[in-house]
Amino acid sequence: MTGLHQLDRRGFILAAGAGALALGRPARAAVPDVINIAFFVETKPTMIAKGNGWFQDEAKAKLNWTEVGSGAEINTAIAAGSVDIGIGIGSSPTAAGLSQGIPYKLIGMLDNIGPAEEMTVRKAANIKSPADFKGKKVATPFGSTSHFRLLGFLQTNHLTQADVTVLDMRPDAIVAAWSRGDIDAAYVWSPAKSKLLAAGGAVYETYKELDAAGYVIADLIVARTAFLQQYPAAVTGILSAYGRALDLWKTQPAEAAKIVGQQAGVSAQVAQSDMEEYDFVPLKTQLSDQWLGEPGKGGKFDEVLKRTADFLVEQKSIRSAPGPDVFVKGTDTSALARAAG
Amino acid sequence: MRRLRGPWTWTALSLAVLIAGWVALTAAGPNGPIVQDLFLPGPGELWSGFLDLMTDGYKGRSMLDHIGFSLERVLVGFGTGAVVGTLLGLAMGYAPTIDALAGPFVEFLRPLPQLAYLVLLIVWFGIGEESKIILLFLAALPVSAVAARAGVRGVSLQRVQVARTLGASEWQIFRHVVFPSALDEIFIGARLAIGIVYGTLIAAEIIAGSTGLGWMILDAGRFLRSDYVFVGIFLIGLMGIALDRLLVAIEARVVHWAGR
Amino acid sequence: MTGPSQRVLRAGAVLAALALWYVVSAVPLVSADFLPGPGAVLATLVDILEHGYRGTTLAQDTFATLGRCLAGFALAIVTGVPLGLLMGLSRRVEAASNYIVQFMRPLPPLSYLILLILWLGTGNSSKVALLYLTAFPIVTSAAMAGVRGVKRQRIEAALSLGAGRAQILRYVVLPSALPTIFTGLRIALAAAFSTVVAAELMAASNGLGWMVFSASQFLRNDVIVLGILVLGALGMLLNWALVALDLRVVHWRGLD
Repeated sequence: MTGLHQLDRRGFILAAGAGALALGRPARAAVPDVINIAFFVETKPTMIAKGNGWFQDEAKAKLNWTEVGSGAEINTAIAAGSVDIGIGIGSSPTAAGLSQGIPYKLIGMLDNIGPAEEMTVRKAANIKSPADFKGKKVATPFGSTSHFRLLGFLQTNHLTQADVTVLDMRPDAIVAAWSRGDIDAAYVWSPAKSKLLAAGGAVYETYKELDAAGYVIADLIVARTAFLQQYPAAVTGILSAYGRALDLWKTQPAEAAKIVGQQAGVSAQVAQSDMEEYDFVPLKTQLSDQWLGEPGKGGKFDEVLKRTADFLVEQKSIRSAPGPDVFVKGTDTSALARAAG
Repeated sequence: MRRLRGPWTWTALSLAVLIAGWVALTAAGPNGPIVQDLFLPGPGELWSGFLDLMTDGYKGRSMLDHIGFSLERVLVGFGTGAVVGTLLGLAMGYAPTIDALAGPFVEFLRPLPQLAYLVLLIVWFGIGEESKIILLFLAALPVSAVAARAGVRGVSLQRVQVARTLGASEWQIFRHVVFPSALDEIFIGARLAIGIVYGTLIAAEIIAGSTGLGWMILDAGRFLRSDYVFVGIFLIGLMGIALDRLLVAIEARVVHWAGR
Repeated sequence: MTGPSQRVLRAGAVLAALALWYVVSAVPLVSADFLPGPGAVLATLVDILEHGYRGTTLAQDTFATLGRCLAGFALAIVTGVPLGLLMGLSRRVEAASNYIVQFMRPLPPLSYLILLILWLGTGNSSKVALLYLTAFPIVTSAAMAGVRGVKRQRIEAALSLGAGRAQILRYVVLPSALPTIFTGLRIALAAAFSTVVAAELMAASNGLGWMVFSASQFLRNDVIVLGILVLGALGMLLNWALVALDLRVVHWRGLD
């Protein structure tokens, strides 16, 4: 091993360096070297901010993008410490994550899903009422917000999984099986949803009844707690950039759709029609009591998360759900408030 | 039997160390366990998870059901794939024409990751048990074919010629010279094939998932239910070892029958 | 049958398959949505070679996948061969570790991928670890079997000639075991390769597997078929390379 003599010298240099750093840099305005962001490749305004480099500008740091395919991956990634910010994680994985003590905070909303994820039925299956679902096969990607809604639909209509066969399938597999007539209905989002509708499918509206019954689903933005505490300015920057993208979508939808389409690898029209289905809640509105609430005050969405967690416990997807205060504490809108200005 | 006592104590020792380490890492301390529950459930959690699964099943089906589904898929997929593959391999070993015609496809199929063509299978064969079994069939076929072919090729030409000069018919030569010689390779191929089929089980159960041990592990992993995931992994590992042992036992029987 | 006519037949079989593919998609017997024809796939290939796929070139994706596969494989060799040799030489070591190795063998890689990502993060380490854990038990078992398969007579003969332990290991055991070890390596590489696509199922941003899954999310079946073809070709190439290496290094194979 190294001699004590060399150790002393190295130690001195290290200590001197650390001292210089400590004196030179005020900890308050700390800027991270790299921000690790998990995201979905999807037709959402996030892609505008990513494509135009706004995230980079506002956060003033290097960004490392990790592409994920499900909210579960974002949970896993943050739990593993590989990712600092997750954009687009669904409300069910978020409720699960907060319940399991994954160290992150809900810092903002991407969108309120509403009609964007919906039940599509095959016209030939002749499904006009909930009872018609008996004996039918319904597919949905398990663990997603669509899955959550589907289970909510079954429960509110007193249908069991013995009555209705629920199948766990990825969206592309759903489209493939649909073409063969192997499934009668699917609860999924676009682009798969539009393909199903174009191939003999019809919308079977459930979102209004489900939203009213409390099965609200949303896509959210979360930040690793330690990261949020260390670099609040960077997190604010991320949210500001998203706010800019949202503004562009509201004011110049065609231009926004073009950029989103390029980033997501789809045509501008597809991007536009996809985005039109979502309720992109403006940053200021997210701070209202209706959604996330002002910093420290909490909002109705905490209850949505709690309800979601309880439902997941019933489904045995997670072991236990904590009390409502965990979800209130699990939301931190201080960065959002700063970003909303 | 006395001689085996020695090694077993080492196994027991090593197992004891492993379990002790596991308990130590997951035991509740003043600040919680060293390794969080999420990452590595402790013995207590695993046990209660196991009991939970055994009594309530998973998502509407008992564990026995799930295990049964998976076992059936593996056995049918492996059985058909290994048999057809072996027959094809024997043919390829015997007839250079068949070897040349079938060779490229067998070689191409072998390394092809099944997850890549899952969707195509759904389009062609649907989402029922058929497509799952076909996937496993395709996983077992190339390895069995290559092994059987090698087995035939490896037969000593001398022995075949000797048999011929003795006036044996082609069938007799096959039954009494070629086949017994090739058996070793065929069974090596079979054990490989079942391993591959087993490894592909989860991919197969992704097709319209709702049943099966493999799907259960994947689904439990979605919400990071580590306890179910670990129980599932243990069960699937044990099942895999059991299947391999079964194959070894069958091999002993068949080799005996083939008269070696 | 002689070599050249075999090659002609093989080429003929492949061409026939391509022709069948063309016919099936031209009629079309299967909707172009699900099985794009050779023309469409070729066009996609050209497009990707020119513009890349979603920010990565085909070369980058291929190298990413290949890199992960070889890294996991190399790690498995470096740790598995020595352990396997030790297990073959010492009943005690075997007793203490074989049960773990044999338990790892049948585990489907997808069953513990999420655990690996949880423990090792979303970068390359979890993916390489998956491939390593797939290949390791195979290599170890092969090395152990190789040592076990050494004929006692040979060892005894060497002993009677006055050889020391190290010499026996180097000149008797290793050469005898090498054919079995190499067979194990071929199987392990094949296993690692077929797992690499599974490894890129989650939290990946490049690689051929990622390309296929990303394309499936946007229902781009032409890219999927292209990915399948490239993966198949790559797998075959790797296998041929290892077989060639096997034949050169273990030139005494089969000479008993």
